[in-house]
Amino acid sequence: MLLQLKNISKWVQSGGQRVFLLKDINFWVNEGDFISIMGPSGSGKSTLLNIIGMLDDFDQGEYTFLDEKVHNLKEKHRANLFKQHIGFVFQAYHLVDELTVKENLEMPLLYKKVSSSERKSLVADMLDRFNIVGKKDLFPSQLSGGQQQLVGIARALIASPKLILADEPTGNLNSKQGEEIMEVFTQLNKEGVTILQVTHSEKNMTYGSRVINLLDGKMQ
Amino acid sequence: MYTLYLKIAVRYLLKNKLYSFINILGLAIGVASFILIMTYVNYERSYDRFAGSENVYRIFMESKEGDTYEESDAQTPNRIGPTLKREFPEVVEQVRLYRFDKIAFKYQDHVIEETKGSMADASYFEVFKYPLSKGNTKEVLKEPNTIVLTESFAQKIFGSEDPIKKTLIAFHKGEKVTLTVTGILKDIPENTHMKTKFLISFSTYNTWFASDEEKKLNWSHCNFFSYLKSDNQANKALLKNKVVASDFEEDEDERYSIEPIEAIHLHSNKPYEAETNGSISRIKFLTAIAFIILLLSWLNYINLSTTKSLERAKEVGVRKVAGAQRVQLILQSLTESIVLNSTAIIIAVIFTIAILPMYNAFTGKELELNQSLIMQLLPIIGYVFIGVLLVGLYPAFMISSYSPSKALKGKVRASANGLNIRKGLIIMQFLATIVLLIGTIVVTKQIKYMQEQPIGAALNRVVSFHGEFLSEMPDSLIRSKYKTLEKELVQFPFVEATSRVQAYPGSGFDNLNSFIGIQYPNGTLDNKKNFYNYSVDHTYLSALEIPFLAGTNFTKNPKGEGNTIIINESCMRAIGIQEPEEAIDKTVNFLGIDWVISGVIEDYHHFGLKKKILPIIITYRNSSNNLLVKFDKAVVSNLGYNDAIARVEDKWNQIFPNRTFDYTFLDQKFDAQYKEDKQFNAAFRVFTLLAICIASLGLFGLTSYTCIQRKKEIGIRKVNGASIVKILKLLNIDFIKWVGIAFIIAIPIAWYAMDLWLQNFALQTTISWWIFVLAGIITLVITLLTVSWQSFAAASGNPIDVLKDE
Repeated sequence: MLLQLKNISKWVQSGGQRVFLLKDINFWVNEGDFISIMGPSGSGKSTLLNIIGMLDDFDQGEYTFLDEKVHNLKEKHRANLFKQHIGFVFQAYHLVDELTVKENLEMPLLYKKVSSSERKSLVADMLDRFNIVGKKDLFPSQLSGGQQQLVGIARALIASPKLILADEPTGNLNSKQGEEIMEVFTQLNKEGVTILQVTHSEKNMTYGSRVINLLDGKMQ
Repeated sequence: MYTLYLKIAVRYLLKNKLYSFINILGLAIGVASFILIMTYVNYERSYDRFAGSENVYRIFMESKEGDTYEESDAQTPNRIGPTLKREFPEVVEQVRLYRFDKIAFKYQDHVIEETKGSMADASYFEVFKYPLSKGNTKEVLKEPNTIVLTESFAQKIFGSEDPIKKTLIAFHKGEKVTLTVTGILKDIPENTHMKTKFLISFSTYNTWFASDEEKKLNWSHCNFFSYLKSDNQANKALLKNKVVASDFEEDEDERYSIEPIEAIHLHSNKPYEAETNGSISRIKFLTAIAFIILLLSWLNYINLSTTKSLERAKEVGVRKVAGAQRVQLILQSLTESIVLNSTAIIIAVIFTIAILPMYNAFTGKELELNQSLIMQLLPIIGYVFIGVLLVGLYPAFMISSYSPSKALKGKVRASANGLNIRKGLIIMQFLATIVLLIGTIVVTKQIKYMQEQPIGAALNRVVSFHGEFLSEMPDSLIRSKYKTLEKELVQFPFVEATSRVQAYPGSGFDNLNSFIGIQYPNGTLDNKKNFYNYSVDHTYLSALEIPFLAGTNFTKNPKGEGNTIIINESCMRAIGIQEPEEAIDKTVNFLGIDWVISGVIEDYHHFGLKKKILPIIITYRNSSNNLLVKFDKAVVSNLGYNDAIARVEDKWNQIFPNRTFDYTFLDQKFDAQYKEDKQFNAAFRVFTLLAICIASLGLFGLTSYTCIQRKKEIGIRKVNGASIVKILKLLNIDFIKWVGIAFIIAIPIAWYAMDLWLQNFALQTTISWWIFVLAGIITLVITLLTVSWQSFAAASGNPIDVLKDE
């Protein structure tokens, strides 16, 4: 088991009342899963994804990642866990505008203190794998949305994470680009990468092996 | 990793051109101003530093005015130095300098005049450790009729010849002496209160022009700058106390004191200084301005970069998600601030170097781009760099604290705390601006006030002619030659009057006698007050239009006109007379002679407008110091001063073939007394302007950003019926509030500081209420103009353009 959530709740105080963003979430993810989290706007999908990705805190419950109790970990330790095992893909790609494709790919490796030669070969592999060798010296603004998202995925993958968290990865793309991206995810999943995607789209959902439905912060 | 930081930083700055431009320009102006001011300040603080200078003191005199002792003379009798050396074991050496106002040197056929030189005891080099390039420090000033020259001055006289053992003739006060060159000094840096191009051995004095009494050790002729060197272990405070307490002269009304030589330039402003010294208060003000400007530009920087950092929240989010730790983000942000600030510093240094010649002309200093300047600049730049790091930390910490999940959604808004800090920063900027503005207005007002003060004498169109005799001539011959010259000059249509004087308004303490000890007409003997005296001829008072309060010009009385005197009003009161008429024909006794008062003149400003008016007694004598020529207004305006002076020079050379020729415009010399105050005024103005520029740049950047941030709000308000004026008001009201707060804080600070500055002047302008109002209004207008430039564009835009993005 890769990770497990037990009775996770998150709330905000509003006018003296607790407004639950997530309430009593229970589920687990095995290595090799391809899970889709579905739900309307405001149902808590992204919040859940952020909690799993350790970008956000929760107020109640237990979160175990690779047998480590995330809620008990120190910030630094948690950051290391995150760095080692999790890659993020965003709807809005979130590439650093000032860096070229190659440099964007290289960035996570720098933060992991990977040696220069190894960085080079990893970046070259990624460029090759996603067929973007010709784009390596371009800046994000010079790419199409689909290409940017490819770079985003490549960046998420470059540090060989166990888990990819994708927050509406095709939300900003047209249907053809979207399909291509989903193909990429499927392929990755076949290669053993665990994928957790948040999506609106019924079509994208079908790529996954399991669906978690959220409504008003609760699992249906 | 670091190259990546660097790469991102550079690209980011290139991408955001307006932001980078405003930021770098603001910083560059700030840093350049700081370097320029601090270079000057450091130079002013570097006076009189040489090997062992920390143990060297100058002896000066104090005299009793009422119950307290006041500094009365930077020069001392020839006896005090040797006495102190004999009496106090901690005094290891003393040296006396007799300062020349001017000497004419003749070598072969050419004559060179030089003012920067002294006669010095043989012990000179024991105290002033200036290195010789030729000669032995123990020997060079030992024998009479020997001279030591600086390298450049020797070059000027002898060219490429070896000057050692060469002889040259020196003329002073019509007396000549032949001097042998015994040593060559390495050029002495200009940052000394005693600028020196030549030193003549002290023993020459006796064979040259000293009067019989002056040859002996005595307590009465205060013509010598005396310096002491104490041994290293000496207790300095104790030594000073001992000197003050000593009473070798047995005169209660006068005493001696000492001051460190290093402190003379900035702290001493006594009568009979070797040159006009600097002013510590000016230096403090300039330092404060330098720091304010630097601070302003940093505040600007912090403000802009924190505001801008909100925009970069997304990037921070991405980095955090990609695994960046906080410290790495902080380093990234710091790298950016270092790149930005380094660029600004480099631009500032280049600018400083480019402007240095102009700056030198302006300050009248010799700040050169040489090793020592660079050495001076290095610590300054070092401070700036440390400042940069500190300044970069705030935005760095702020930017790295964003929560990634919020940052990525663009949900980061300025926190209330951050907003308050930024408000505080802006208020501080306004505060500094208003304080500087008030300062500028007060300084300008004071200078104007001084210039508008009646001097009490008409100095326009009056030129003083003077020169050194190159052959010895009996006084009677000089007198008759002068008579001829004056007679011939008056024939010129452009000459209105001539007069021969020892001193004149604006010539300061040069050629002015001072004495203590006078018997009032009512018989009272006064041994306390200092009186000042110079002599003139009949035409002086009418030529300078100095009006009489009572009495007449020098009159022939039974004892001859030589014994009549004219006194100023201050002197009249000092000798216990209240009404001018009562003073006429009264007798006072000083210097052992009875003098009859023939006239009382109105007070005029002999020492410039910074000093109070002192009691002056004018005696009658045909002086050969200065020939004043008053030019006729109508004629000289046709002819031009150059031609008129050239024709005077012709006559001068005919009558005094063996005499140098030089001239001084009286009004220019008078104005030169507050040249430094004028420079200070100009500097204050320039740097205030720069400070305002920096603050405006910051405001401009900030508003452009607020307008972007609030464009949605503006759009919604407009859709709901807000007018442009309402929107403008909404956007501008905060700034008006901040100016108001800054204004209230600025008033007491500025008032206190400027009141302090005005203490430097005997005649002070008032710090009127309108100065504050004016400064406030100027700040408000500049602010509103800067802010409205952009808020108007934001307010007048079509709301649909903004809202449809959503």
